[in-house]
Amino acid sequence: MLTYLVRRLLLMIPTLLGISIVVFTVMALSPGGITPQALTSGMEMKPEQRKAIEDYYNKRYGLDKPAPVQYLRWLNNVSPIGFVSDDQGNRGEFSFSKGMDLGTSFQYGRPVSDILAERIPITLLLNLVTIPVTYLIAILVGMKSATNRGGSFDVGMGMSMLALWSIPTMLAGVLLLGFFANVQHFQWFPTAGIGSREAQDMPFLPHWEQAGFVRGFLLDRIWHLVLPVLCLSYGGFAALAKLTRTSILENLDSDYARTARAKGLAENDVLWRHVFRNSLLPLITVSAGLLPSLLAGSLIVENIFSINGMGQLAVEAVKGRDRELVLSITWVSGFLTLIGYLIADFCYTLADPRVTYD
Amino acid sequence: MTNVVSRESFAARIWRKTLDGVGVKVGFAWIGLLVFTAVFSPFLANSMPLLMSKDGVISAPVLKYLSVEDVWVLANFFLALIIYRLRIAVGKRVLLFLLGSALIAVFANLLIKPPALVIYDDFRTPAYTQVDWRIMPPIPYAPTDYLRDMVSKGLEAPFARQGHVHLMGTEENGADVLSRMIHACRIALSIGLIASGIALFIGVIVGGLMGYFSGIVDMLGMRLVEIFEDIPTLFLLLTFVAFFGRSLYMMMVIIGVTGWSGYARFVRTEFLKLRKQDYVQAAVASGLPLTSILFRHMLPNGVAPLLVSVSFGIAGAILAEATLSFLGLGVVDAPSWGAMLDQAVKSSSFNWWMAVFPGGAIFMTVFAYNLIGEAFRDAIDPKLSGKGEGV
Repeated sequence: MLTYLVRRLLLMIPTLLGISIVVFTVMALSPGGITPQALTSGMEMKPEQRKAIEDYYNKRYGLDKPAPVQYLRWLNNVSPIGFVSDDQGNRGEFSFSKGMDLGTSFQYGRPVSDILAERIPITLLLNLVTIPVTYLIAILVGMKSATNRGGSFDVGMGMSMLALWSIPTMLAGVLLLGFFANVQHFQWFPTAGIGSREAQDMPFLPHWEQAGFVRGFLLDRIWHLVLPVLCLSYGGFAALAKLTRTSILENLDSDYARTARAKGLAENDVLWRHVFRNSLLPLITVSAGLLPSLLAGSLIVENIFSINGMGQLAVEAVKGRDRELVLSITWVSGFLTLIGYLIADFCYTLADPRVTYD
Repeated sequence: MTNVVSRESFAARIWRKTLDGVGVKVGFAWIGLLVFTAVFSPFLANSMPLLMSKDGVISAPVLKYLSVEDVWVLANFFLALIIYRLRIAVGKRVLLFLLGSALIAVFANLLIKPPALVIYDDFRTPAYTQVDWRIMPPIPYAPTDYLRDMVSKGLEAPFARQGHVHLMGTEENGADVLSRMIHACRIALSIGLIASGIALFIGVIVGGLMGYFSGIVDMLGMRLVEIFEDIPTLFLLLTFVAFFGRSLYMMMVIIGVTGWSGYARFVRTEFLKLRKQDYVQAAVASGLPLTSILFRHMLPNGVAPLLVSVSFGIAGAILAEATLSFLGLGVVDAPSWGAMLDQAVKSSSFNWWMAVFPGGAIFMTVFAYNLIGEAFRDAIDPKLSGKGEGV
């Protein structure tokens, strides 16, 4: 198992390299490219100030060098082993313990790692809440339509799941926001963010005080998350419900299920302890692909609900041509995706003891 | 069950089975409607009269203002109809169509010189209104006609009668929503078809080579596929679009270039199965060139499952365009459904008609392609064929 793990981790390296090369090439080939002139063009400043900033960019990021050199320079900064370089961009001696440096964002003037450390937990929170919700609904609906195969529930669900799957996230988001978080209609939910300012000072759990009910940090967070999570999850559970149904149907009439029934087990036990466990495998396989699609989905959802997560950061970064930030974001999301695949493969062995990776 | 040997070809059988369901008919009907609207959009929604008679002279102002693109689309539509009626081989049809459409493009660019400036207010002056008779388009507002000469405020709800009727209301600047949607059909349809065409082209070539050669080519190709799969597509798209302009054609290429990995995987698995088949070995042994083996012998046998992913792919491409437009990175000079949704969000108050109609159009189109894809899948999958056995 350990060797397998090490091999998988090592195989990630070429993929991650490839991702950064693709993204870097796109940016380098773009008309105008990334030059200090392009970066400072919008700002109003004196010529000597502009010159100073351009010189700083050139020194710090090597923007006056050819693109391959710039890439190698970036790679050297990012990789945990490599040449030490100082603030001026001069190369020092080779070191094995220099640590990773994701660079400084052009736009924000702060280290990229700091910005990411702020934003990633928010996106992760959104996704980690969404995944269980998605699976719960998908499994319940899938199981019910598999057991009533051909019935009205099954047919109706089949159609409406396909319809749900086709609803663009943007439309759902805009309508939810417009109807349920708007003074013109129902103002049930907050419009933006994932927590209100005053909730920062509240205790964690909801409770009663003299002044009245205090919703606490937890309830406030949940209240803010309802609409975004709804928006993120419906597409996923629509697709998963169909898959669950198919895979349960494959196992429903199998020999072992018949044996279990013949032994006189309750139908619920047959379904949930025997059939369900064997139908889990395809669900686990898709879970690997779920993470990238959720990341992409959160990009839209975060923009609609003004949540300061990675998705919003990505849009800001590409709009501002912030090279370091774009590279790091694609890199991190690629890395998360790969980790997702790895976790899915491990869950596989847990669900099915027949699968081993040795 | 009698033993009747079916004379129906594989393609014909799949086509018949696909058309069995109700959903797929709805899907095709919607796409047909979209094609019709896309082709005839200048005649369906425009501010100028289709035909009018003034002082005994009959004229058609619409024709004078047709752009090169309008003419090209129209001519292509009729060309396709004619070629469809001809009884010749499929390959020749495609060639003939491409040749014809290129010729039309050249001639249209040479001959058609529409007025550079269109002032829609002119069409509401006596020169166009005080006539013997005139026929207006069903929706008498052009997509960029902001009704500047009208005194009313810009925003209007559907059927809010303030001197003029807007079936689906107007957006904040006073342009008719339905008219904008009709003109945006073209973008949605063409992006879906061309972007997935490009993706399919790249995917088939890369996947075909990987599957046919296997070994080292396969391994390198798979890494490439993985790289493109592991960057969330939307991130990649965003990067591409933000750094390379925002023209419609660029967008098609970009969506195509970022979306081929799925097709490559598909073709690869299919070709890995096929490469050891006798007829492929025979083709290799008789010294056929590689392109002939790959595309004339192997591809037709592995193409059926591709249809499924193509129709899902078209839906994906349309969604991708809508998403990019929604994020404000779309085409700037023409309305698109995604951009209209974006307008609905950006506007100062929530106006349901600005979101529901364009969003509904995106939904219906994606749903239609998904229905078609689903029907193809059910028809092709041998496990699912036959009524009642379907899983």
